[in-house]
Amino acid sequence: MASRQIREKALNMLRSLPRVGIYNIRDNPGSRKTQKRGRGQHGGDKHGAGNKGSGQRQNYMRLGYETGNNPFYLRFPSENYYKGHHLKRQYPPLSLESLQTLIDLNRIDTSKPIDLAEIVKSGCYTFYPDEKQFGVHLTDEGANIFQAKVNIEVQWASETVIAAIEKNGGTITTAYFDPHSLFLLKNPKRYFQSGQAIPRRMIPPPDAIEYYTDASKRGYLADPEKVSQARLELAQKFGYELPKIEDDPDYEMLCERKDPRQIFYGLEPGWIINLKDEVILKPKDEQLIQYYSS
Amino acid sequence: MALITYTLKTLQNSQRSLLSACSSTLRHPVGYKSAISLETLYPTSSLKITTPIFDSSNSNEKFSGYIPIKKLDITYSASSGPGGQNVNKVHTKVDLRFKLSEADWLHPDIRQKLIEIHGKKLTKEGYLVLRSDVTRFQQLNLADCLQRLRQMIRNAAEPSPTSDPETAEIIRKRHLRAVRQRLLVKREEAQRRALRQPPTIQDL
Repeated sequence: MASRQIREKALNMLRSLPRVGIYNIRDNPGSRKTQKRGRGQHGGDKHGAGNKGSGQRQNYMRLGYETGNNPFYLRFPSENYYKGHHLKRQYPPLSLESLQTLIDLNRIDTSKPIDLAEIVKSGCYTFYPDEKQFGVHLTDEGANIFQAKVNIEVQWASETVIAAIEKNGGTITTAYFDPHSLFLLKNPKRYFQSGQAIPRRMIPPPDAIEYYTDASKRGYLADPEKVSQARLELAQKFGYELPKIEDDPDYEMLCERKDPRQIFYGLEPGWIINLKDEVILKPKDEQLIQYYSS
Repeated sequence: MALITYTLKTLQNSQRSLLSACSSTLRHPVGYKSAISLETLYPTSSLKITTPIFDSSNSNEKFSGYIPIKKLDITYSASSGPGGQNVNKVHTKVDLRFKLSEADWLHPDIRQKLIEIHGKKLTKEGYLVLRSDVTRFQQLNLADCLQRLRQMIRNAAEPSPTSDPETAEIIRKRHLRAVRQRLLVKREEAQRRALRQPPTIQDL
């Protein structure tokens, strides 16, 4: 960087000199080369066009041509079936039947909210965030036998699944986690051991925002009042009496929700979890606190 | 970055007193609210999940769309069709019935109209029956039954078409015109056929 004096000198010059226009500027030296035909020992003779062939005869081959054999750019046919596949998000499925099995075998505790970390912790479900997999898709297989009352947070769920869960007095939320957060959820212990602060969760991409702000899909960004209305509508559609959730002794647990920037229940962004000494380190600096709650 | 250290055991804050230090679900204290929390996104909302009640007394419509599921008699049975062991074991067919004359949740006008339209379809005891086994899922079949029931009620709730004297006149004229046309065609055809017959003594 130029020193302060040089900067000031330049600014003073700018103030006093005439307006910069096309008449008082020039190119940087060496930026334009003259298209002169070379002469003499080094520039003459073949004038840089080589020997014979299309190069000297100014009859150039088209770009990509490989002198007759099947060129690289034509060897592979276009497969529209796979068009955009690298941009699509995947949600590996987990059926309601397997969820019920896990609950029955006490691999998942229903007295606390269930999220992706809890499902992965049960040991019977894996997903790979580095392979464009964005979380769990709860499927409706086993909707007729599902009986547990849970507060579950998944990444994708259909109407039948939502109905099956709410019929038993539970609640379901669909929430988005960006890939970095997914790595945290998959293996929180490994992340905490790395000593990094918990990051903020990012908002969904533009094509997913509509889904997660929809009350009928129980999106985590939807208005809870609209969600209550959608619960009633779904109960009417699928023909069950909606249990009164306010009178439920577990009402607080069932209504527990993460903030849109939170990754874990009870842990805020910015905290460093020291598992060895069983200590949480929280930031004290104003700027940091502001950043992590932005 | 300046840090402050807390131990889990020494959380003495009044907010934290709501938590039990040993519980594995650390209850989310009132503290953390990001800039995109639901409070900031929906400032006028109560942010609570409740069970609202359908209030149909305000609207002028006869049928609000609400059906009390408790007052319907729903039974499940095995569906027909192919499917092997699964179709034999799983009860996916839905039988929905209710006594139409005793359905107090329906507006009396709608009830009357339903009896008029579907009176012949009622059972001996006076039950209106709806059955569905379209899908392989019990829930979806039940949804199908309810959808059909709702459609029946809505059709019955529609006001009957009013008889306008001008419209009645137009319909009468149309009818007469159709009759005249029909007879004209008939006469032409008859004449054509008659001309094909060989001549009789009278013609000559």
